[in-house]
Amino acid sequence: MRFDPAKRSHDDIQSDLGLRRRAFLGSLTGLGGLALHAMLAGETSANESSRHPDGKPHFPPKAKSVIWLFMRGGVSHMESFDPKPALNQYAGKTIAETPFGDVQAPEKLKKVRVVVINDANGQQRNTLYPLQVGFKRYGQSGIEVSDWFPHIGSRIDDIAVIRSMWTTDDNHGAQVQFHSGRHMLDPRVPTIGAWINYGLGTLNENLPQFIGMGPRFFDKRDGHYLGPAYDSVLLKVDPKRPLDYAAPEGDIGESEQRAEFALVHRLNQIAGQAYPGDQELAARIKSYELAYRMQTAVPEIIRFDQETEATHRLYGLDQPATKPFGEQLLAARRFVESGVRFIQIMHGDGAAGAWDQHSDLQAKHSELAMQVDRPIAGLLQDLKQRGLLDQTLVVFATEFGRTPGSQGSNGRDHHPYGFSVWMAGGGLRGGLVHGATDEIGFHATEHPHYVTDIHATIMHQLGLHPHRLQVPGHQRLEQDYGSVIEQIL
Amino acid sequence: MCRPPALLITLACLTSLGHGAEVDYLSQIKPLLAEKCYSCHGVLSQESNLRLDAREVMLRGGDGGAVIVPEAPESSELITRVSSADADRMPPPGQGSPLTSDQVSLIERWIREGAIAPDEEIPQSPDEHWAFQPIVRPESARDAGDANPIDVLLNAKHARSGLKPQGEASRSLLIRRLYLDLIGLPPTIDQLADSRPWSEIVDGLLSDPRHGERWARHWMDIWRYSDWYGLGDQLRNSQKHLWHWRDWIIDAVNSDKGYDRMIHEMLAGDELAPEDPDVLAATGFLARNYYLFNRTTWLDDTIEHTSKAFLGLTINCAKCHDHKYDPITQLDYYRLRAVFEPHQVRLDPIPGITNLEVDGLPRVFDDQLGAVTQLHLRGDPKQPDTETEIIPGVPGILAAFAEPIHPIDLPAYAFAPGARPYHQEDRLTEARDLVRAAESKWKDTEAKGAEQENAATTAQGSEASSAVASNDAREIAKAALVAAELKLKSLEATIEADRISLAEPAESTAAQTAVATAARLQVEAQLAASRHQRLLDAADQAKAQAASEQIQAAEKKLAALQSGEEPAKYESLRGSRKALESPADSEANYPPMYSRTSSGRRTALARWMTSPAQPLTARVAVNHVWLRHFGTPLVESVFDFGLRAPKPEHADLLDLLASELIESGWSLKHLHRLIVTSDAYRRSASNLGADPECVRHDPNNKLYWRMNGRRMESQVLRDSLLSLAGRLDTTIGGPPVDPAQPTTRRSLYFIHSPESQDKFLEMFDNADVLSCYQRSESIVPQQALALANSELSLTSAGQIAEIIESRLDDHGDRAFIDAVFETLLARPATGEESEECRHFLDDLALATVPSAEPTKRSRIRLIHSLLNHNDFITIR
Repeated sequence: MRFDPAKRSHDDIQSDLGLRRRAFLGSLTGLGGLALHAMLAGETSANESSRHPDGKPHFPPKAKSVIWLFMRGGVSHMESFDPKPALNQYAGKTIAETPFGDVQAPEKLKKVRVVVINDANGQQRNTLYPLQVGFKRYGQSGIEVSDWFPHIGSRIDDIAVIRSMWTTDDNHGAQVQFHSGRHMLDPRVPTIGAWINYGLGTLNENLPQFIGMGPRFFDKRDGHYLGPAYDSVLLKVDPKRPLDYAAPEGDIGESEQRAEFALVHRLNQIAGQAYPGDQELAARIKSYELAYRMQTAVPEIIRFDQETEATHRLYGLDQPATKPFGEQLLAARRFVESGVRFIQIMHGDGAAGAWDQHSDLQAKHSELAMQVDRPIAGLLQDLKQRGLLDQTLVVFATEFGRTPGSQGSNGRDHHPYGFSVWMAGGGLRGGLVHGATDEIGFHATEHPHYVTDIHATIMHQLGLHPHRLQVPGHQRLEQDYGSVIEQIL
Repeated sequence: MCRPPALLITLACLTSLGHGAEVDYLSQIKPLLAEKCYSCHGVLSQESNLRLDAREVMLRGGDGGAVIVPEAPESSELITRVSSADADRMPPPGQGSPLTSDQVSLIERWIREGAIAPDEEIPQSPDEHWAFQPIVRPESARDAGDANPIDVLLNAKHARSGLKPQGEASRSLLIRRLYLDLIGLPPTIDQLADSRPWSEIVDGLLSDPRHGERWARHWMDIWRYSDWYGLGDQLRNSQKHLWHWRDWIIDAVNSDKGYDRMIHEMLAGDELAPEDPDVLAATGFLARNYYLFNRTTWLDDTIEHTSKAFLGLTINCAKCHDHKYDPITQLDYYRLRAVFEPHQVRLDPIPGITNLEVDGLPRVFDDQLGAVTQLHLRGDPKQPDTETEIIPGVPGILAAFAEPIHPIDLPAYAFAPGARPYHQEDRLTEARDLVRAAESKWKDTEAKGAEQENAATTAQGSEASSAVASNDAREIAKAALVAAELKLKSLEATIEADRISLAEPAESTAAQTAVATAARLQVEAQLAASRHQRLLDAADQAKAQAASEQIQAAEKKLAALQSGEEPAKYESLRGSRKALESPADSEANYPPMYSRTSSGRRTALARWMTSPAQPLTARVAVNHVWLRHFGTPLVESVFDFGLRAPKPEHADLLDLLASELIESGWSLKHLHRLIVTSDAYRRSASNLGADPECVRHDPNNKLYWRMNGRRMESQVLRDSLLSLAGRLDTTIGGPPVDPAQPTTRRSLYFIHSPESQDKFLEMFDNADVLSCYQRSESIVPQQALALANSELSLTSAGQIAEIIESRLDDHGDRAFIDAVFETLLARPATGEESEECRHFLDDLALATVPSAEPTKRSRIRLIHSLLNHNDFITIR
């Protein structure tokens, strides 16, 4: 007989405490976030604990949590949040034939570090390709957003659009770069989510603090030299099996498992008499307590039956096209409510990422935008109406932009020199545009920002000083830290 | 995953601590100066004769006098310079980012408070660094008599510190510890009761072939084993069939190949034994670094990890500039690169297999002997320094005992893999099989065609048209046969031409005749193949056209050859496949025969690494071995023995082990034996009953007054579960196993690459494929879920129950509980534990889950619980 741990309510868990061994889980009341944090970090021996952050913000934070939305592939900045009418005006002309020919001056193209030599992609595309979508002004701010993102447009007064991003990878290793700040050819270093997880204490002892959803490719780790304890815990929005080993893969009943956990707890305690002061043992006992609660707490969060019909619609759960992403975003909101620090959601399948329209840009980009537009707008609205937006930073990011010139007859190539992302909530200003690209969307010209400036801004809103998180033996460069984008605070 | 080195714990520069507390020089000022200033004003370099790496030398100052004036930051040159906005700013623009205002004010405060610093030694010149000194067997361990020299050294320290070490662990726990350490599998109940002398048990396990598997996995961590990965079939990283190297490691451990010889074979097996595939397989160590897209990245990885693995040096830090901490220059980095510059990777044919996708031997070879190495300014390949000539060599600081480099002449077996007799035979067999198949197909179509012709003479319509079709089929079959026959002939002629041109001068008549024949037959075979292709493609106009063009080209070439217009040239038989140097290349770009000499550079490097004068290699190796027996290394930064590694507490022990290793002929088994027969190894891992002085003064067991408990590595955990359940497949070696498929092979045989790893192993800190000099031992809730819920542990519990039951005479609960504790934890249950377990069995028997065999079911649950016990996953 199999059982489904997800089906148990919180009360059941409480009653587990009243099982024959009352001590089981009871000890948790005395377990503070700090101790648990250290335990989760797997750093148990006394001589090592000293190098760990204490889990407290370094200064008063504006935000508590981050929802990180990453569009895999490259979203065309010109066809999303950075309209370029000049592309229509000069459509079909080569860049050299326009007044903007100097954008391709060799010294201006230097920052790219090529990964795949002579690759078919990641090349200069010289013939300007007209905009494939119209734009409208939205909200009081009147910021222009493309017709593929009307719902996000309707929330624009909560959004700070940054139109001046740049990166150095012209291929899809840029996925790694946007999360870690380091180029694909550099050694792997921790991602922004791992740093937040490392720097901040937990707000909920029953849940992992760093959750990942959606497809992932080039680098499946986050913690790297911080250790596997700082990797995101990958979840699926499937209450039956939301994470690996969340439910038994064999013949064991619910009451049996409850009894086993209680026995293990008791036997480990007894074994402690033979190994006084054994900190690994203490950590293991606690990890079993947390595991037992996690396997109930996580499925509870990704079950939406208590959410209203209106909320389901808000996130697009009523439409097949928007449902998969909408479910992840609704789960993200519920995780935020439960105190999870960082929820990292990837959109767009395939190794390269779905947002990679070397061809067929109009059809594919519009379809992908449709999958995310309503859920994201719904998330922003929902967070706001629940009073959560102020303390939750929502980030919409992608690998790089796409070339102003056409690739083939109807596509755009990778474009690392200038592209757009946006951030909302978490104490940031809304309804503003920061930075700019040139007339044809080639280079970030005004307030250019490397990808780690987004990390620095997140750190700042969460009350962390990244220099204070540095790990001995792992020197970070100033560029790894980035700079806070003060203008959007 | 691997643990960050816990080196320089205090370096977490707390730059903006609240005011109030005094500034602490060691934790706040020194690390900051080290980061920003030491590379030019420290032990390695003294610009303007100034050093900043101790208070005393700052007061003494440099050419411009003292740089700090205690209590007067405003008069301190140091403050003036680090806060300057002009060109005289320190660190100078381009050499380091300026200090932040917080950092400047921190130094100001320190000076104002009197620039207080504890007495400290002024660092000595780098060539006096402890790890660069010759390895000397410690005096006190010279005449140890019967005593184990490890104990002689440790006991003396305990005595000096007034510590009384723990006694021996219980016999059964010790046996479990030994089995898990030496063969990675738990002992059976009978083995736990083994009454033979300890040394006999040790010798038995060291000669057990499973020892090779256990320790191969450790070395695979350190040597970065990774199966190939890429996109689809495209090879991008490492090499296909790299498991040959893994099997070489297992074999090297089992046969106790000298560690020095292992290094020689891994770095230069192709030069040392160019005709021995068993040695060539070792060069998988280098082949593993292959990277399709970027040669510099490939060589960077090679340099970094060769240095870290064998020398414990972070030479990689000198790629863009001179090393900040160690006496390694940027030039040293590129000299080392020059050692590897000529080498490339290829797959060699294996007897009986002609398809290199099926199997092949990945190995390295020197391909371009003339390849030039250039220093990259600031590490940027786009900025080669064309002025400086780079001569291959080893880092200058330890170059005194380097041997000169001698180029090595290679036998034909090495440079002409297509001319190996076994491979020629395999190819001939393959070609003959093709002829036979074409022949029988042709006979079949002829027979069928004749039947249909007969029928067609008396029929009309569809039957007549099928006769036409059968004519086509006959024609195609005939062309296929002709093509197959010519292919065989061309192959025979090629083999003959290869044989003669390798044996005789090119001008000889025999050679010229053979070459001419091979050249002609190669074109004729091509012509026949194209003719066959045109018939096959008759229906597709474009393809037929392409085939026609090929025919014309071949005919033209044939005519030119026959008229003597074109010199006779043939292509030698291609036996191996060189890994592409760039995605823009194709196999046809590369010649079928390779360079007849090898540079000898890698041999020279390997000899230098294992020279008797080399202070690093043996120390680094024994540190790795010690770590894996005791859970803590003697030198904490296992891949960095440079100047940042302080002289270890147990430098004497390190040197003892290193000299034992070298004197035993680099025998790792000797080293294991020495370690596991020591008292130190056999101590209890518990604090229970310990001398209170030990717990008070050395709570972290730096003096090894007890054993350290360690968590099983991911592989040991899975293998132990399978072994206890009686379902471990003990086959040794062979191609890796897909983790997505059910298997009970040992875990080291799983495909292990960044794109494929076993999910269960991943939960328990599996080896980081990119670099893993030390496994981490995390404790996270996901591990609890994996042990509680995985099919592996649930199924194993049932099977273990059956095995235990089958051995018991007394089927009572008490006896069962005792047997379970013995089997899984290698110790009896205490009275309290036994009682808890009996309650558990009683409770479950009454539980809500209905079962035909409630006793059996609850006993399985008990076993499953104990698989989750901390004492199960812990090596006590």
